[in-house]
Amino acid sequence: MSPSSDTHSPPTLAPIGLASLLRIKWVAIRNRLHQAIVNSPIKFLSTIVLLGVVWAGLYGLFMAVFIFLKQSRMEAAIAIPMVFSFFFVAMLVMLTISNAIIAYTSLFAVEEAAYLLSAPVPAKAYVSLKYVETLIFSSWSLVLLGLPLMFAMASVNEGAGQYYHIFFISFFISFVPIPGAAGLVLAWVIARFFDRNVRRRIILVASFLLVFALVWAVQSMTVNEHKPNEWLTGFLLRLRFAQSTLLPSTWVVRGVEAAIDWRTSEAFAYLCVTVANALFLSWVAVALVAKNFMSAFDHALSSRGGERSTPAAPALGRAGKVFFYLPTHQRLIATKDLRTFFRDPIQWTQLVVLFGLMGLYLMNIPRFSGANPLEGWGMVIPFLNFGAITFILATFTSRFVFPLVSLEGQQLWLIGMLPLSTWQILIAKFAFAMTVSTFVTISTTLLAVIMLKMPLSWAVLQVVMTLATCVGLCGCAVGIGARLPMFDQRNAARIANGFGGTVNLIASVALVLTLLFGMGAVGYHNRSMGFEGSLDGATLLLAGAMVFVAVCAGWAALAMGARHLRRVEI
Amino acid sequence: MGLLISQFVAATMKPSIDIQSVHKSFGSKVAVRDLTLSVPPGELFAFLGPNGAGKTTTIKMICGLLHPQRGTIDVCGHRMGINGLAGKAKLAYVPDQPFLYDKLTGREFLSFVGEMYRIASDVQHRVINELTEQLDMGDFLNNLTETYSHGMKQKVVLSAALLHDPEVLIIDEPMVGLDPRTVRVVKDLFRARVREGRTVFMSTHTLGVAEAVADRIGIINQGEVIALGTMDDLRSQAASEHSLEDIFLQLTHPEAETDRGGLSEAG
Repeated sequence: MSPSSDTHSPPTLAPIGLASLLRIKWVAIRNRLHQAIVNSPIKFLSTIVLLGVVWAGLYGLFMAVFIFLKQSRMEAAIAIPMVFSFFFVAMLVMLTISNAIIAYTSLFAVEEAAYLLSAPVPAKAYVSLKYVETLIFSSWSLVLLGLPLMFAMASVNEGAGQYYHIFFISFFISFVPIPGAAGLVLAWVIARFFDRNVRRRIILVASFLLVFALVWAVQSMTVNEHKPNEWLTGFLLRLRFAQSTLLPSTWVVRGVEAAIDWRTSEAFAYLCVTVANALFLSWVAVALVAKNFMSAFDHALSSRGGERSTPAAPALGRAGKVFFYLPTHQRLIATKDLRTFFRDPIQWTQLVVLFGLMGLYLMNIPRFSGANPLEGWGMVIPFLNFGAITFILATFTSRFVFPLVSLEGQQLWLIGMLPLSTWQILIAKFAFAMTVSTFVTISTTLLAVIMLKMPLSWAVLQVVMTLATCVGLCGCAVGIGARLPMFDQRNAARIANGFGGTVNLIASVALVLTLLFGMGAVGYHNRSMGFEGSLDGATLLLAGAMVFVAVCAGWAALAMGARHLRRVEI
Repeated sequence: MGLLISQFVAATMKPSIDIQSVHKSFGSKVAVRDLTLSVPPGELFAFLGPNGAGKTTTIKMICGLLHPQRGTIDVCGHRMGINGLAGKAKLAYVPDQPFLYDKLTGREFLSFVGEMYRIASDVQHRVINELTEQLDMGDFLNNLTETYSHGMKQKVVLSAALLHDPEVLIIDEPMVGLDPRTVRVVKDLFRARVREGRTVFMSTHTLGVAEAVADRIGIINQGEVIALGTMDDLRSQAASEHSLEDIFLQLTHPEAETDRGGLSEAG
């Protein structure tokens, strides 16, 4: 007999509402917090401390920027509103894109959708739930960036209005749903009207459009050293679009400015405009997407079956030749990772966009630098280039290299059965990461030294230091990825954002800062000694020490990861 | 006599699942081609087919997750798509990959499902306890589901599906990961539901289970139903007195079976 069939009341048709769905999500969050506090209190505390460190660092950075800008009253009058306008315009664009990505994956690409939508859960309740989740997931970065910005602003403007903090937080909360609604509609349009292959093309086109937009921005910022005032006027004129009254970012900026200047009623008026628009756009977006959701869901699921088949490649093939220096088993692992990398457009497009932008910047170097590469700004620019390249590399290794070991969680039985030690497995992962990162960073560095017409000795120093940084960052990402893995997680972004990912990010940034400090010291030493092109013994010693630090950091992380992985039961 | 009456009732009642000329393709690949199928109340229907034959697509269309490009699907008289929620309230779907929220306990998940179907809390509590006992879930139901094995997850998902006593239970690979005792309990549960006039639509590769418990069997291959009926009907259709496994292989891979027969004879 089935359970209680005699007394069971038939289900009513009253559909479940958003409140019930939010309640169960809250129970899950409560359980997660309880589990984190009870089972891993040190890990939980470390995460809080790490977030505090990041937050304090950002606060210090914003303070420094505002104090620098305030040193000149005229510059402050022009630049601070411009910084604010830019911050919120950038946030408007970035949040729209990130909301679209998160909304797409949470609405159309999860088992939860299939489960809830096969039950009597109305599409509107489901879409509303995912909209709220998307807003929370996508806007934590705004909070992380925005709160220190707000406090820095208040610290710099000591006479800020008494309701300034309340206004600022209210503006943040009411601003977030505007790009959120745009992102939700964008995700629905992509799912409803484009099949998977077309979606990949859209990613490519969007990437190229982004590059072109930034080319324009770089050219806008190009300084004509002979007429700096004309440049400033022209630059500000070009950027006036960021202060258009039609942009939600402008309402927020003007409202915050009014709150700072004690113009409370004006600030309140702007807040009302922002809130009204946020509510209206959210309502329109949720209603539109919910009404047409099932057709989009059907299309998103159906279009996966129509993909073109990928031609089968031999186990090693051409890709395997890249790792000619590895023994066969390690080469197989590295080749598999390389193929996966190239077949996942999210990975390689981000790398291409980041280093493509870097290349564009480097091609504009002559306009920034002037004639002599080792005079004036000439000494600073190689240092800044090195910093930019290594920070971008740290972003790449944290996002894509760190999850490599965790993503093997489902296949550990296969990898674990290979006649390889855990050290050899990690070396294969390291070789893959090194191959990709060396290719892009060394190409970019070579471009930089050519554009700057640097002397050969300096060029070699830059290349060697970049290579050492690759070793350190790739070693850290693979090693810490093996030491703090998330084998039960299949989502690479979540692995990268987890505790291990945060530890790796902090370690990578610390390593980059150490090496940057060393490079700065080398530059300063050579400038003060008046060397032009030659490297003295002290420089070589310092460079050697930095290479040693980078290699040791990478090796230590790999050894630590290998030791931990040996103890993991498959 | 009783059997005749129940057959008469089944024939005159509205079918629980009524699929009419349904067609679905993914790009250039046809997943389901002109499928017509009716499952009356009080029947356990086993849906068989090789991998990629169109079983899961059909199930997802019945549940309203995918929409047919042509044709119609009704569940308990409710057209899926137009009045989907009414139909969904009558059915329960257990996917082949059991879905559970990682950070909920099994009991919390079952309470959530109870709330989703508006079951009174006292009834919820009693039914959860009954299912816990029947499916032997007492040891783990209060643990977070992320710690469960596949079989444990399957038990919780199955319980969630039975919680609101659905008129139609749609289940994809029900026995994967279950221990022999639970397999027996689940088979008995299915038969009990059918006796009470409920419908069970089961997709499986475990032909032994289908042969043992199904009233009717449908075999789908390359999007088309190639055989439909009771075991006796299938035997006569395949002109074979052998087991369901032999019939299935003969119908879905006739060339391979002919070769195999030839080899056996030669051997």
